[in-house]
Amino acid sequence: MSDRGGRGAACGDGRPMGRRGFLRTASGLLVSGGLLAACDSEGPRSAQPLLDFAERQNERLERGLFRHTSMARVPGGARAAGDAFPSYHIADEEPEWDVATNGTWALAVGGLVRTPLRITLEALMAMPRVTQRVPHYCVEGWTAVAEVTGVRVRELATLAGAHPQAGYVDFTSFDEGYHESWDRESAEHDQTLVVYAKDGQPLSPKYGAPARVHSPTRLGYKNTKYLTSVMFMADRNGGYWTDRGYEWYGGT
Amino acid sequence: MTESQPQVVHRHHWIVRVTHWANAIALVLMIGSGLRIYNAFPGFAPRGESFCCWPWEGSMIADNLTFGGWLGGARHWHFAAMWPLVMNGLVYLGFIWLHGEWRDLVPRRGFVRDALAMAKFYLWIAGEHPRQGKHNALQRGAYFVMPYVAAVSVVTGIAIWKPVQLGWLGALMGGYAWARYWHFLAMAALIVLSVGHVIMVLAVDPYSLRAMLTGRYNASLSPEARNARPLVNLLPRRAAKAEAPDE
Repeated sequence: MSDRGGRGAACGDGRPMGRRGFLRTASGLLVSGGLLAACDSEGPRSAQPLLDFAERQNERLERGLFRHTSMARVPGGARAAGDAFPSYHIADEEPEWDVATNGTWALAVGGLVRTPLRITLEALMAMPRVTQRVPHYCVEGWTAVAEVTGVRVRELATLAGAHPQAGYVDFTSFDEGYHESWDRESAEHDQTLVVYAKDGQPLSPKYGAPARVHSPTRLGYKNTKYLTSVMFMADRNGGYWTDRGYEWYGGT
Repeated sequence: MTESQPQVVHRHHWIVRVTHWANAIALVLMIGSGLRIYNAFPGFAPRGESFCCWPWEGSMIADNLTFGGWLGGARHWHFAAMWPLVMNGLVYLGFIWLHGEWRDLVPRRGFVRDALAMAKFYLWIAGEHPRQGKHNALQRGAYFVMPYVAAVSVVTGIAIWKPVQLGWLGALMGGYAWARYWHFLAMAALIVLSVGHVIMVLAVDPYSLRAMLTGRYNASLSPEARNARPLVNLLPRRAAKAEAPDE
């Protein structure tokens, strides 16, 4: 076989492209074409079961990695973000607790508990308080440092006598229907607080007054603001962003 | 010598070929989805602070260079494709270690001299293609560095994924913001290496594409045999002609 033509080189030993070669080339073109067409898209719909499978396995791994002793630490010299700490709410207007229509705000602790509680802000502030300087990890990729003061969720669980079979905790709010449910382990981490003060000041409506959940062990969207209740549950019940396609676990 | 005869050699084991293409797909998915995640917060400065080393704070990546459609979608792809990427990489590295192919990729004694000779040839300073075996010195350098850069991107990625539970890892990198920064730079380095690789394959040794698909390579068409520079002496005939005056 002469080697003079470029064709011999391109198609292998000068043989014309066989069926296998054609299939290889065609599948290569299909794959690269598919990848190009997939740009800026969510990818092929048929991949969804695979993505769901990966999310379930990742969650198992993440829950396995979770340690109560792993503490978020603020790097030395990091300043509190102060007013540069971003905020948002899902209601059109900034949610504010209206005493005239709703009565005095009180945190409900309920669900699978021995003693359902209603804890007023004064009572909450009288409980053992924790002040911690921690980063806040947003799902978008930014971090913001804040010094927050509040009560450990674990404290509330003990006080209400949460049932051991309650593997999940739902944090609900008065910001429209916003809520996010957590696994109980993360909710009872030392750094998971119901917070009523930020940077030494009472929580402002911008940051979720009168009280919010705050924990560096969870991405920002899991940290319900404008808190109304802490419900201990046997099953998880999703959450605002979880129901909109973000992963339920959202751990850090 | 009249015409060079085809000297077909078996160049790539099927494990190398499969992992090569699987890596290409996984890498495209990881980079595309990673850039979409980056666009949700295109910068590195923690809120209320500044970041020394990024002049493009706030500049987003063009949408059609990204993959995943939206932040949550890109995260699902990123955290799914990371597994095939890592496992595939481990299979590849394990195979070349056990099977001996690593010897073709580790820079040899005199690497700097050989790489300079290769660069001189590509820049038309030297006229003859330096002698090479399976890969030239520049290729060896690139293929050798790539797994290290990939390892950096994996380790920094894990540090970003678990900044609290694996906080010690992030601390090694200078904290969360720096881990994101190293992760981004490692990705940029992987893009440079990969795009450079693809360009050089097409411009210097398109025949190696066959080797990465079927495993077989016609050594008589090697860049050395063709005295090939980027886009120069691509066709085998030119190499044959170059040899003609010796007759």
